[in-house]
Amino acid sequence: MSLQITFWILATVAVSGALLAVRLRNLIHGVFSLMIFFGALAGMFLLLMAEFIAAVQILVYIGAVGILLLFAIMLTERVAEDGGRRISSRGSFWGMAAAIAVFVALLLPAIRQTDLPKTAQTVQPSVEKLGQQLMDPYVVTLEVMALLLTAALIGAVAVSQGGKPKNEDEPK
Amino acid sequence: MSFELIKDILLATVPLLVIFPSLFAFTTWMERKALARIQNRIGPNKTGIPCTRIGLFGLGQPAADGIKMIFKEDIVPRGADRLFHLLAPILALIPAMLILCFLPLEFPWTKSMQPIHAFLLDSAVIFFFAISGLATLAIFMAGWASRNKYSLLGGMRAVAQMVSYEIPLVLSAVVVVMGAGSLSAEKIVQEQNFLWFVFTPWGFAAFVIFFIAALAETNRSPFDLPEAESELVAGYFTEYSGFKFALFFLGEYIAMFAISGLAVVLFLGGGNGPGAGLHPLLDPWVPVVWFIAKIFGLIALMIWLRGTLPRLRVDQLMAFAWKFLMPLSILNILITGAALHLLADGRLEALTRRPNHLYKMIEGANPAMIGVLWIGSFLILYAAACGLDNLNRPGAKPRNYKYAE
Repeated sequence: MSLQITFWILATVAVSGALLAVRLRNLIHGVFSLMIFFGALAGMFLLLMAEFIAAVQILVYIGAVGILLLFAIMLTERVAEDGGRRISSRGSFWGMAAAIAVFVALLLPAIRQTDLPKTAQTVQPSVEKLGQQLMDPYVVTLEVMALLLTAALIGAVAVSQGGKPKNEDEPK
Repeated sequence: MSFELIKDILLATVPLLVIFPSLFAFTTWMERKALARIQNRIGPNKTGIPCTRIGLFGLGQPAADGIKMIFKEDIVPRGADRLFHLLAPILALIPAMLILCFLPLEFPWTKSMQPIHAFLLDSAVIFFFAISGLATLAIFMAGWASRNKYSLLGGMRAVAQMVSYEIPLVLSAVVVVMGAGSLSAEKIVQEQNFLWFVFTPWGFAAFVIFFIAALAETNRSPFDLPEAESELVAGYFTEYSGFKFALFFLGEYIAMFAISGLAVVLFLGGGNGPGAGLHPLLDPWVPVVWFIAKIFGLIALMIWLRGTLPRLRVDQLMAFAWKFLMPLSILNILITGAALHLLADGRLEALTRRPNHLYKMIEGANPAMIGVLWIGSFLILYAAACGLDNLNRPGAKPRNYKYAE
């Protein structure tokens, strides 16, 4: 019973956060409502006893992606004002129709065919198992991904440095 | 929703909500007194029992401050984002209070009762870092919502600083997780029954790195650039007054408690300490007392550092995190792995299943090897620290001061 109540609270928060993130004109408000949505999702994962995924959800989506979005917005112009510059949306009817069609044709059958678990149980691959899996069969994948991310990081630094003139007067 | 559940929830959360804010009040007094002594002043000494001349060493100061804060006018600047201006102090307090729940702190109120944790999670350490990162958002929100140059600069500095120092913080915790073989705070404490992790060379290095990064994470001096009063008025809470300011203050101190608590769990053996067996009624309280005493030891160290060290420059701050702490903590992880491998002698997987395996590994190992391992890893870490220092500041030597004769 209490699980049901928690689920409905989280679901309401998640849906309203997502809606606000899309609808708000003020970009910073939008980012924060997106984070509310992410937080509610983390709560859902906790409700399903998937604590590691919940932690990663908070760590990656709120902690990293959120901060990144905020920085990106900070570096752009005029974020808070309404400014009268509104993106007029044409053909919103067709967009809505396409979304509903996708939902009915693809998602609904998929949802109805899955038998939902009656009660939440501890997700079997616990954190320990997950770690062992990463270290034993998937270690090469892990290393390749790490290499790729490091390369991306160095590349980002190199790009952001730009073509600096060589003879810059450095303070001695 | 049964009565039992509500009772359990209350018993788990109310002590945290009562004890830590009261400790906060005491800590502000302690900090003011200690800083005053360091600066050759007396500090608060008048406020004691009202309507009498009894001063009580100024112990009434926190209460007086609190009353003053409540009655102050709440000023919201024109042009500020009113909603976010209100939400930021609240959001600053929530993650700080939330991470307290992950500390393995048991309050045995009744004899028959099972000790209750707010959260008993297998991955408590990951959760701790995930949620403590949310404080960054609150500070950014405050800086942005105030519509003030100084606030925004302070907020930006805070975000940059906290994002940078989170990396050495987490990397130094990894060392402990490797040694304990678990992410659960309880198991990490149990592993340290005989040997605290701070007494291993890699654990000691990790503790120092962790403590420095924790100072930066909680915006404590010498890393208090986001609120540097000589440059930024008060940084991100320039435009905050009254109780909103008090909430920021409370959040900052609760975060200090929480991160010191994590340091105690990871390195200083949690609630382990002598004193059990005095009286059956007192016994369950011994770990709680030890835990809070250790937290206060670390807080006292923070206050001492605040009274001693000058503030860093922004470029020094960033260079210190990325060019010094991060390579050193990565090296430390490598050393830990090598040391554990040597100590376990190829039985690591079998050994980590047993409690206190690190202690048993050390007990069963050759004493000569332990000596070599301890001194060797200490020397490597020391040499690495000196080398990194030289790389970062080539030609730095003790300054030659010329005083007026």
